[in-house]
Amino acid sequence: MSTPQLPLGLRFPAHQRLDAFHPGDNAAALAAVRGLATQVGAPWAFLSGPEGAGKTHLLIAACQAAGGRRALYLPLAALGATQAEDALAGIEDADLVCIDDVHAIGGHRGAEVALFDAYNRCRAAGTAMLFSGRAPPGQLPLVLPDLASRLAACLRFVLKPLDEAARRDVLRERARSRGFEVDDTVLDFLFRRHARDLGALLNLLDRVDRESLAAQRRITVPFLRRVMGLPSRER
Amino acid sequence: MSKLWQRCLDRLEAEVSVEDLHTWLKPLQAQESGHDLVLLAPNGFVRDTLRERLLPVIEQVARHLDPALGQVRVEVGSVATAPKPAASGGRNNHAAAREPEAFESNLDPHYTFENFVEGKSNQLGKAAAIQVATNPGRTYNPLLLYGGTGLGKTHLMHAAGNLMRQNNPGMRVLYQRSEQFFTAMVKALSNKVAGSKAIDEFKQRYRSVDALMIDDIQFFAGKDRTQEEFFHTFNALFEGKQQIILSCDRYPKEVENMEPRLTSRLGWGLSVAIEPPDFETRAAILLSKAESKGMALPDDVAFLIARRMRSHVRDLEGALNTLAARAGFTGRSITAEFAQETLRDLLTVQERAVSLPNIQKIVADYYQLRVADLLSKKRTRSLARPRQLAMALAKELTEHSLPEIGDSFGGRDHTTVLHACRVVRELVATDGRTREDWDKLLRALTG
Repeated sequence: MSTPQLPLGLRFPAHQRLDAFHPGDNAAALAAVRGLATQVGAPWAFLSGPEGAGKTHLLIAACQAAGGRRALYLPLAALGATQAEDALAGIEDADLVCIDDVHAIGGHRGAEVALFDAYNRCRAAGTAMLFSGRAPPGQLPLVLPDLASRLAACLRFVLKPLDEAARRDVLRERARSRGFEVDDTVLDFLFRRHARDLGALLNLLDRVDRESLAAQRRITVPFLRRVMGLPSRER
Repeated sequence: MSKLWQRCLDRLEAEVSVEDLHTWLKPLQAQESGHDLVLLAPNGFVRDTLRERLLPVIEQVARHLDPALGQVRVEVGSVATAPKPAASGGRNNHAAAREPEAFESNLDPHYTFENFVEGKSNQLGKAAAIQVATNPGRTYNPLLLYGGTGLGKTHLMHAAGNLMRQNNPGMRVLYQRSEQFFTAMVKALSNKVAGSKAIDEFKQRYRSVDALMIDDIQFFAGKDRTQEEFFHTFNALFEGKQQIILSCDRYPKEVENMEPRLTSRLGWGLSVAIEPPDFETRAAILLSKAESKGMALPDDVAFLIARRMRSHVRDLEGALNTLAARAGFTGRSITAEFAQETLRDLLTVQERAVSLPNIQKIVADYYQLRVADLLSKKRTRSLARPRQLAMALAKELTEHSLPEIGDSFGGRDHTTVLHACRVVRELVATDGRTREDWDKLLRALTG
């Protein structure tokens, strides 16, 4: 009997590490997340901030950093409110639970009650929790005041997006880690065309990397335009 | 943890996205059973998703690593692990969810009457809870504490329980959130093996205690079977002169989908409202919490937070902890400026919401008036009082000066605004109706 051959796995390098997080003005939030990931009994935290400020990065990095402890990442927006309700069952068995996009269940009473119950069960079981949402707990569109008030009891950090210079550094560094360089023309183009959302820019860079690997090309603006599905000439 | 699964995970890291890895794979527990690999999922949803989406790749990797592997199975369950040490300052650190025998210790010893900060808004509740704890089953039965979330109802319940057990260490006091009661009942009902024995055990468990405390009974709404079961439990305890303490987020008769025969019984004892804390109490709470944490909180910072955050105690505590954490991590001392900066981020939307036009609109809507009438020269009683309330709210909630407020109310003099503030302050203190209007409007405006 022969061993079945594995296909070449598409490599997903884990960028979302605590060490790879550029703190900018968010050093206190980073420290709190590190505490939650590595120390038993650290206070729970709620991270808010606009898209691309690094919320998901920190939540996943916390899971990565949890080491031998059992960590769980639940993206509520990706799951949707109905599925989120089911996915929250039994999570208190983990050691660390990271709940992303709490705002996504706002207004869905069933899911809000499920998160409220999960919060209480985790408290009782000594399971650590880390939350993120687009706005601080008091400003989320939640219909269950009990949930809003529990979330308000967490350490609350409002993440500030990096300024453009820092975002450029991050992109350059990421490109370098993938073995290619992006020059200022390319960065100018990216910042002009693309959202100021760093996460989206990084995802784009990953895509560019894969495509350039396949096409064996240097990263140029025309090449970027093709990857992004834009017409070949800027008007 | 199965060695094979550990090796699978290392390999799977390259096969799935990092989100999928931490959502679906890493949280699993694994056991090897004969030649099979059994993966234990926390719930049915995770199990089904794995079977649909990820089982093929898991099987492929596992079989690659161990060609002699039998099946890969996904089931709901968990391997018993050592109990986790509770979070620091965490609630219910004595495994509230464990076996029935452990119920005697499920009170949180951190909650006492000594560390409950008393103010006008909650002193009646505290006094009643002390009375009940000193004479369980004899004074007020049931004791019902009602009011918004995060105002200290749970604190008072635990404090009462702790005092009962301090006076009489043998006392069996059971504290449960309503959801735990519900879950226990569903479990008993669905236990096909033990059948009626499970239900009898459930009943026995709740009826054999000396004091039963159920938190947040508003979650019983719409759960008919739970209400019925609770109704019988209530009757049994009441007849046995066992103490019952309950909490609810509003007066029980106002909870929709609650059995009238249950809500009427809840009124047999004493119902006490716990109100949101006033400014002085908020400041006192902050100073007391800071002291118990060994944190240096200057008075002016406490006043600043108390002035800016007017919702509930949990919110205050969260803000205080955030301040302490930020100060600790950044090495800065807690000054008014530093607090201002921290709070600004947390409060921006709330601040924006409380503008003068916003206050006028909300007050007009509340009294079913037109904003134009509120700002008009008309001085009929039906307009004057709402107008005064709106002006007093503007003074309380915004940083606008008296002349500015006067201006925005149809060009009135600042002395008119000052007079309105005085009248309203007095009415809030003496007239229940005005006080209720004031509280509701304040809540509507500050969320």
